[in-house]
Amino acid sequence: MSLKKISIIGAGQAAAYAANEIRKHDKELGITIFNEENYLPYERPPLSKDSITNKKKYEELSFFSKEFYNSENIQFINKSVKKVDFTNKTLITNDEKLEPYDNLLITTGSKNKKLNFGVDQQDISDSILYLRNIEDSKIIKESINTHKTFAIIGGGFIGLEVASSIAQLGKKAYVIEMGQQLMGRVIPTQIAKLVSSYHEDKGNVILLETNIVSIELKNSVYKIELNNKSTLEVDFIIAGIGSKANTDLFENTSLNINNGIVTDEFCRTSEENVFAAGDVANFFHPFYNMQMRLESYQHAQNHGIAAAKNILGQNLPYIHIPWMWSDQFDLNLQLIGVCNNFDQEIQRGNNLEEGIIYFFIKQKKIMGACGIGKAGKVGRDIRLAGKILETKVDVDIDDIKNKEVKLTTLLKR
Amino acid sequence: MSEINEGWLEVSEETGIELEDIIRFDHDNKTYCVYKLEDGYYATDGLCTHETVHLEDGLVMDDEIECPMHQGIFKIKTGEAISPPACIDLKTYPVKVDNGKIFIKI
Repeated sequence: MSLKKISIIGAGQAAAYAANEIRKHDKELGITIFNEENYLPYERPPLSKDSITNKKKYEELSFFSKEFYNSENIQFINKSVKKVDFTNKTLITNDEKLEPYDNLLITTGSKNKKLNFGVDQQDISDSILYLRNIEDSKIIKESINTHKTFAIIGGGFIGLEVASSIAQLGKKAYVIEMGQQLMGRVIPTQIAKLVSSYHEDKGNVILLETNIVSIELKNSVYKIELNNKSTLEVDFIIAGIGSKANTDLFENTSLNINNGIVTDEFCRTSEENVFAAGDVANFFHPFYNMQMRLESYQHAQNHGIAAAKNILGQNLPYIHIPWMWSDQFDLNLQLIGVCNNFDQEIQRGNNLEEGIIYFFIKQKKIMGACGIGKAGKVGRDIRLAGKILETKVDVDIDDIKNKEVKLTTLLKR
Repeated sequence: MSEINEGWLEVSEETGIELEDIIRFDHDNKTYCVYKLEDGYYATDGLCTHETVHLEDGLVMDDEIECPMHQGIFKIKTGEAISPPACIDLKTYPVKVDNGKIFIKI
């Protein structure tokens, strides 16, 4: 039986690019995207940065215009889905309408982990700001525009990007991180230290190995007691403490869930005719021979495209090497591959002006690379590191160390 | 400058420029990139249309330039933005080689 209708739950980047890809190959198939937000699918990276610092308007973030979706006959239904009946291939929306599908693509993304300070302090828990969507970003932007000091709980990418925006607007952020370094263990310690110093030079305060003992909210000021006996007074608390796959809709269903919706390399879930892509999917990566779940711009897009192709029966495994970036101030940090499985760590470059990259090498093969530099200075070599690791060629350590040796030459050998 | 090169600006000597190399050319407060491809030289604006980052640091693959910051991709010959976050096309400019020198017409 030929396909007639594809339904997509969730309207983020993976959904938009899946719909676009399907339409490239099939002009007739019905495509319906169930969207809980009041916006067409939009870019999220600017929400912590350019949208807050007034460099980019919220209206400019859509991937594709309304006219595009109309002309391509991609339908949006502005409702949430409350239940999926896999047996009868039907979605049930919040207003009890039944929406049948032939194939289903789940792109519900991820959701923020939240802090909970207990029943007695519910008001404080409820007042903490988080960043996930345009509305969150607008609230954070307004709070920065009207106040001066902020506590950022969590020294990960989102927290640091918001802290960078705060400092750029002439305000001050205290970044409270439980761990020994910023950005978790996946980022080399040396790079974490450079980022930390950069923030401090711009007026932010980085507090490592720091826990919150108590929080009081009086007269619109938060008093935060820390385990190092000091107390902070801030106007707002913004938390970025990680995300989890947004699988709430599928709890207690037959769909296989384990740190996200489990899929194979073709984006197929445990249910027939049901696919998952983007942040929500815990997919099998053939290159690394393991399951992984990624939260990044590039992955959301490429995985959505891959799902579309596989829905159309092209049987193409998803083999993109993971890549992500973070922009803070005028610095651009990039990470490619995996950086926690190596026997040698090789540094290329020695200053932020020209970029510093750490290559992670195992048995002479590049496994991953992480670099930081003034905007644009690490991208080419990071990209080439990805291309070299895909080829699995042995590399010469001296070539990697020497910035005079173009990495393109390693590809051509 | 010879009369035949009127309206053209000299970018550089051709010597030493390899395939897929990018030459940055700054003129009158603007920046441009000249690329050496299989079938000759091409030029575009020098800054990515997504964020103001110099494409001279990007990677040329076949006839495409990938921005070094967020991997937006443009077709060098037409300037067309073909992969997000880039969505606005680059301007392109005529390039010629005369007597071992590369010229651009802005």
